[in-house]
Amino acid sequence: MNSLDTAQYALDCLIKNGADKAQCKITQTETNELNVETGDLSLLRTTFNTAVDLLGLMNDRKGSTTINKTDPESIEIGVKEVVELASSAKSDPANDIAGFKPAKAFKSGPIQQDLERMYERLQEFLRYVQQTYPKTIIKDVILSFTRMETVFVNSNGVEFSSENGFYIVSTVFTNKDGNKVSSLNGVECKCKDLNSAIKDLGGVDRILRQSSQQIHTDTISRKFTGSIIITPECLTNFISYFAQYLSNQSLITGNSVYKDKLDRKIADGRLTLHCKPRSSELAETYFFTDDGFEAGDSIIIDKGILKSFLLDLYGSNKTGLPKAENMGDCYMIEPGDAALEEMIQSTSKGILLCRFSGGHPGQNGDFSGVAKNSFYIENGKIKYPINETMVSGNIVQMLNNIEQISKERNNDGFQCLPWIKFNGITISGK
Amino acid sequence: MIPKDLKQYTSFFKEYTELRAQENRSNQIAIINGDIVTNIKRSNSGISARVNKDGYWGFASNPLMQDNEVQKVIERATGNAGFLSSRGKKKDIKLPARNGNFQNDFSTHNSLQSQSQIIDFIMKLDEYIKTNCKELSSRVIALKTLDMEKSLLTSEGSTSYSLIPKSFIYIGMTITNDGAPIELWGNFGGLGQFEDVFKLPEGLFGEIDEQYKHLQAKAYGIYAKAGIQEVILDANITGVLAHEAIGHTTEADLVLGGSVAGDLLNKPVASELITLVDFANTAFGKPCPVPVFMDDEGTTAEDCVIIESGVLKRFMHNKESAGIFRHELAGNARAFEYSDEPLIRMRNTAILPGKSKLDEMIASIDDGYYLMKSSNGEADFTSEFMFGIVQGYEIKNGKIGKAIRDITISGVAIDVLKSVTMVSDNVVWDCAGMCGKSSLFQ
Repeated sequence: MNSLDTAQYALDCLIKNGADKAQCKITQTETNELNVETGDLSLLRTTFNTAVDLLGLMNDRKGSTTINKTDPESIEIGVKEVVELASSAKSDPANDIAGFKPAKAFKSGPIQQDLERMYERLQEFLRYVQQTYPKTIIKDVILSFTRMETVFVNSNGVEFSSENGFYIVSTVFTNKDGNKVSSLNGVECKCKDLNSAIKDLGGVDRILRQSSQQIHTDTISRKFTGSIIITPECLTNFISYFAQYLSNQSLITGNSVYKDKLDRKIADGRLTLHCKPRSSELAETYFFTDDGFEAGDSIIIDKGILKSFLLDLYGSNKTGLPKAENMGDCYMIEPGDAALEEMIQSTSKGILLCRFSGGHPGQNGDFSGVAKNSFYIENGKIKYPINETMVSGNIVQMLNNIEQISKERNNDGFQCLPWIKFNGITISGK
Repeated sequence: MIPKDLKQYTSFFKEYTELRAQENRSNQIAIINGDIVTNIKRSNSGISARVNKDGYWGFASNPLMQDNEVQKVIERATGNAGFLSSRGKKKDIKLPARNGNFQNDFSTHNSLQSQSQIIDFIMKLDEYIKTNCKELSSRVIALKTLDMEKSLLTSEGSTSYSLIPKSFIYIGMTITNDGAPIELWGNFGGLGQFEDVFKLPEGLFGEIDEQYKHLQAKAYGIYAKAGIQEVILDANITGVLAHEAIGHTTEADLVLGGSVAGDLLNKPVASELITLVDFANTAFGKPCPVPVFMDDEGTTAEDCVIIESGVLKRFMHNKESAGIFRHELAGNARAFEYSDEPLIRMRNTAILPGKSKLDEMIASIDDGYYLMKSSNGEADFTSEFMFGIVQGYEIKNGKIGKAIRDITISGVAIDVLKSVTMVSDNVVWDCAGMCGKSSLFQ
């Protein structure tokens, strides 16, 4: 049986075994991955994975299971488990499945990998790093190609299928000079082809160059309130913290600081944050959500106004708040009007924050952590790379304290983000 | 079900080969304010092979475990190693070995509880919290169990079968103070299936009361002062320090990648009071939370004394790094899923107990903090560390004072460990966390 037939078989089994409503999603992947360890190509991996997600509702009681086999016997065992789990659950009218929409099939990216090309690009990258950044030690590089096929069906007649092919490259490295070593750093990019050299993807070369400048660091000798210019890679962390406040758990518990803020101003008017899973600008894409809706592009913050939470169907039913068009990720922020150089030149005292290592922010938005791989800025100039420096602030306040947004953006295939300067951040040296 | 004996596939081995069948089975239930939001069981099983040819590795895995599929996986892994070896030339490194044969099954001998019974258990906890913790604005209870079952065969003759289960209940409580939610999480559980770890809901009521008291104090707590402070780190934080700040820097793959520990072997890196051990399977006369008798390369596991009386003595290795350094193996190479290759991993990493009592330690501090629980942590090659602290108290004039709100602490692990002046005489294991190195693992 192909995946669609298997999913339909699973659906029929769920209904025959007592589910009023049911859904089944099957994802099959093949990944081939070249690994570099400590500067040398060392491993070629081929993995086949299957995930069969079964869900059944019985009188609003939910049970679900994930197995990784598609033979009829395994499906039947999985179905019996779902029925047992649903029977054991409590009734919750918020449990439901997506309503009927016409069937759709989607495709994205190449069907087949080019293994020889992958090998050449990796060797090219290793040679480039060795020649250009001789003090850089590559801890690892992983270049993979994944072919993914997904089908989703439910008992309301929803039927989606997708085929995706994509490359992902990630690398972790440090720099060493004698017995001085820099903070570890890394970068990950996603792309649909290998037409570009690895060094030209996303911020790879920029981050390698910055890291090479960070062996000999210095501290900031005091505590002050200043500005931070957050790089696109580092901004990803803060967006994910922010996204948590819009999620099921945060809103269902009632703890989200944004629970009453839909259609209200929560950020500076220059900030527009999109979630674009269907954008051709990004290599990261998805076509339907895990609960069976076709995914659409949406605006999360529109010129400072909160326009959408990130609730799925259950979260929406539970809270009475609108369901999201998508599952988050694939973020894009509209560019600003300031050149990055200008943003640095207009900073009297602050930090270029390239990586943030911190505790999970509190529910009220408070955060604090270490500024890693970062630089001290004073009187418009980058002075030196820093160590043992903490930054702290509040995400809710930060969004309203935007000084500048850069014209330039970085597209790493997962997201497309600018540099953003925030003021009012507490910066503490040793 | 995975095959327990893989010897029938030996004929397909052409080079150095590790063959592993594995199944991870998990159960997750989450309740938010009395509603069941998650009720899911997962099973992920399959076969994998890792082959070494002329210093290059090939790996392949498949969820299908019929005989012909196992053969294909071995052949694919062999082919992958051959693809690399035909295109490059590596320095010849002899892979050391400590072969053995083991069988260890920690599954319960009690009757298995149904999902209904487990949910009833959790709902009783929820009812207790709702009744007795009246100031809470929200509560979350999550159960997570994971049974990891593995069979291993290597071309060098090592065999292993293991079933290592663990079960945890996580409780999140939130009090809203002046419109701001203040939360605190607790975790309970350890090695064993649900039936062995959790007997009666009443068994957790005392710890729930304790967690609620701490949260109430925190909700009206103060912010800690910035700057360098004298602190007592409770077991939870010490464990994160041992794992993040020191442990990772002494994993040989990170050492080869440039970690600062690389230049410090046999040099002092801590106070003489500090001895750090990565236990294999048994410590202080009892099974460790994550008992490893043989790792996923077929190495018989032994304890690894990383720091002894303040001196860095040993790195943690896999076969390749042990071959490069010409060091002994201790069995630190493990994989999380069947589709992962083994990575160098810590097992049961602990700082050995000292001679001091906690009361004495508190009494010795005029102005400092007692830090009790962390949310997360991160390491660096430089040994600079970061931990999020979610529970702690100030110490004033030798006495516990006000609770503190969430903070982040950082430092350079080597500097911090050299500053240690007292170590308590008891040890508490905390194993609810997962390590994010490459993939989540414990």
